Amino acid sequence: MEADRGAMRSLILAWTAAVIVFLYVPAVCLALASLTASRYFTFPIPRWGTEWWGKTLASFEIHQILSTSIAIASAVTVIAVILAFFGALAFARYDWKGRSLYQKLVLLPIFFPQSVLGLALLLWFNALGLPLSWKTAVFAHLVWIAPVATLVIAIQVYSFDPALEEAAFDLGASRLQVFREITFPVLLPGIFSGALFAFLLSWGNFPLSLYTTGADSAVPEYLYAKMVAGYTPGVPVLGTLSTVGAAILLLGFWSLITLMRRGSLPRSEK
Amino acid sequence: MSQGLRNALPMLVLLAIGFAAPLLAVIDFSFMPERTFSLFQEPTLENYRAILRSTSYISFLWSLGLAVVTTIILALICYPIAYGLVRLAGPWSMVLTLLFTIPLFVSENVRLYGWVLFLIKNGVLLGTLKSLFGIELSSMLFTLPAIILGMVYVYLPFMLFPMTLGIAMVPNETREAAYDLGASRWQVFREVELPLAMPGIVIGFLLTFVLAVGAIAEAKVMGGQRIIPIVHDIEIAFTYAQNWPLGSALAVLLMFVVAFLVILVLRRFDLDQIMGKR
Amino acid sequence: MSKVFGPLTAVDRIDLKIMEGEFFTIVGPSGSGKTTLVRILAGMETASSGDIRLRGKRINDIPANRRPTCMVFQSLALFPHRSVGDNIEFSLKIRGIDRSTRRARALELMQQLRLPEGYYGRSVQKCSGGERQRVALARALAFDPEILFFDEPLSAIDYKLRKTLEKELKDIHRETGKTFVYITHSLEEAMVMSDRIGVMRAGRLVQVGTPHEIYTAPNSRFVSEFMGDVNVLPVRLDGGHALISSAVPADLRAGAIPADFREGFLVIRPEFMRFLASPTEAENVLSGRLYNEYVLGSRIQYQVRVGDHVFVVEKLRQQAFKGQLDEEVLIGWDGRDSILVGP
Repeated sequence: MEADRGAMRSLILAWTAAVIVFLYVPAVCLALASLTASRYFTFPIPRWGTEWWGKTLASFEIHQILSTSIAIASAVTVIAVILAFFGALAFARYDWKGRSLYQKLVLLPIFFPQSVLGLALLLWFNALGLPLSWKTAVFAHLVWIAPVATLVIAIQVYSFDPALEEAAFDLGASRLQVFREITFPVLLPGIFSGALFAFLLSWGNFPLSLYTTGADSAVPEYLYAKMVAGYTPGVPVLGTLSTVGAAILLLGFWSLITLMRRGSLPRSEK
Repeated sequence: MSQGLRNALPMLVLLAIGFAAPLLAVIDFSFMPERTFSLFQEPTLENYRAILRSTSYISFLWSLGLAVVTTIILALICYPIAYGLVRLAGPWSMVLTLLFTIPLFVSENVRLYGWVLFLIKNGVLLGTLKSLFGIELSSMLFTLPAIILGMVYVYLPFMLFPMTLGIAMVPNETREAAYDLGASRWQVFREVELPLAMPGIVIGFLLTFVLAVGAIAEAKVMGGQRIIPIVHDIEIAFTYAQNWPLGSALAVLLMFVVAFLVILVLRRFDLDQIMGKR
Repeated sequence: MSKVFGPLTAVDRIDLKIMEGEFFTIVGPSGSGKTTLVRILAGMETASSGDIRLRGKRINDIPANRRPTCMVFQSLALFPHRSVGDNIEFSLKIRGIDRSTRRARALELMQQLRLPEGYYGRSVQKCSGGERQRVALARALAFDPEILFFDEPLSAIDYKLRKTLEKELKDIHRETGKTFVYITHSLEEAMVMSDRIGVMRAGRLVQVGTPHEIYTAPNSRFVSEFMGDVNVLPVRLDGGHALISSAVPADLRAGAIPADFREGFLVIRPEFMRFLASPTEAENVLSGRLYNEYVLGSRIQYQVRVGDHVFVVEKLRQQAFKGQLDEEVLIGWDGRDSILVGP
């Protein structure tokens, strides 16, 4: 609209930029703190150094925790994507009797305070007599992450034209072939996004891990324990590492998608 | 069995054993005698009576109050951004969305800790002020505003993204038609844009509010435990106090508030319309 | 009213005057800039250069909500959360007119547009395609604009209903006496309704004239081909009066040849082509093979191959040509029935 130009436009863009800066203040502070040579953080930084990076990355305990986190996130990703793929087909592709109710059920765990969910699961595992470990944490993450991945994949499924499947069927493909040749490849970008979300959300999750990992400790939980116990520059190092890791994964994925689109759809519109 | 149900089945099983069952267990536990760890005993209302006698209502009010304030502040912050992402950013909207998404994948306590480093005495903000201008201010850390800052910060994406979806649902031509028919900018907003974007906006409000009611890390990390939100009470009952039935009863009360709001809102929405329109 | 635009990619240096009270139609293929032109006129986009004048007054800087113009969009842009009545009354509500006056005016318009009174409180989402068209038109008329713009509102409607609505629109134009500016990609649709037509191509107006002028005297190959199936032969002038075409093995004769004509196209409408019994029956005669025939309702179209070139000949059904496919036929036309156009 005409009035979108001019003062209003600049104001909105400036506001957006300001909020993005606001969002990244903590990450910058963590990065600064991780580059201090001294034991305690003061600003301006009296002595810069990367010693804490070296120490943190060399620590056996940190390796242990990183591998626990990666194990949890990987397991969650694989299981969540499989559940979510079929869940998304039921969500957006097929017209069936219970669909509307199902859609709302899938949303419920997302619209639920995670810390309460974590405590409820703690109680539940205990009632079942399951010992807490990284495996129970995987299950806890799934309760929340599988629905999120379902929504992410469902967005792709909504734009999927069912006539494609019918056409393949009509051309003589079997049900399995239709799935392998048409449904799966067409929905692949959505599946990728779902997997990425699942991995990153599991990687960064704190409230569910806190109550359900037992003796195994994931990164966010470990950081929290250190924060509460008193300051160590290992916290900013690990925090920065996990922020930068998430950013690289996400940006890498995005550029991959952009490149793939450019390659496969040359000048599709206009 | 219909094809839809067959595809939905694994998810439904997960939700049954991972979501419905634990919540039922919590409800059951809330009727168990104090400090027991078994699900099968004579039911009692004692835990709820204990809550009525205690000061838990203060925590409840804090949680609800903080959630309301957070939701309102976020609505004001996010609307212009969501509008800009949909209408003005053009090819940049994808990059901007990505920038808003990245922080979501770093655990909230780590990000809140970044704020602590920013706000703490001799931290990034006060240290800079002191060394550059010689001004010494007391830190705002461990105050109520700091908690609100933390909550606004953590829940921003949960307001922003549904709102963006909502605004994207308003066809540009509909806005133009209203404008062309003589409506002012404000009238276009009130008569056309707001009502049509409402589903997304309401979902943003709901999601933010529900998650903020369950907030605990903000008060712990940035509020220095000066304010005790209800989830903190629940956590204490579950951990230090080892009184699961009492914690369960508190959790049930919180779940009631949440379930009431969620069911009230979700019942009225057609998700196909909100998500499918692209 | 005249507007000149600087070198804009979408709309390029257009100079056009639209008369008060006329039904002016802008025709062009998609991407020719016709929508952009109308959006600039309605105030929804700005011209990068040039003036837009309404009765001599420059209105470039008046935003859409204060221009006395109104647009009917391609999507119609009805407010889905409002009833039929509320949609129609929208502009009156904006002006602060009281409820009963608004209602009276809305009902009056609904009657004029043949919308049943019972539709007043109905949701627009429950209306059929034709009803939605009428609601959109009523909403625009309620605004009481001096100029109404239409951005292909009928493009998504099926043929029969479209024909009815085209005629209704012309009636409404007559009854209201307002200026209508209509966009379409169909010259056929434009012919039915318009007082004058402007043909656009690649952001420029290539011809402006009455439907009759556009039909009988297109000024370019582009305009002539836009009318539908026509025969177009590339020709050049050879010394005297003879036209030579690389497509057919014969010298051709045209009516009047402009003095400066050197090279261009000869356009012959299919209804001016005839099947001949002997070569003396027409000025231009070609021999070819009957390739196929198509029944187009009241007319029948024949394709005749002359070498590699396919000619189109149309006859009324009662004057149908009785020939076998692949039969050798003679076709021809007179010089005065053809038009010479530039490239």
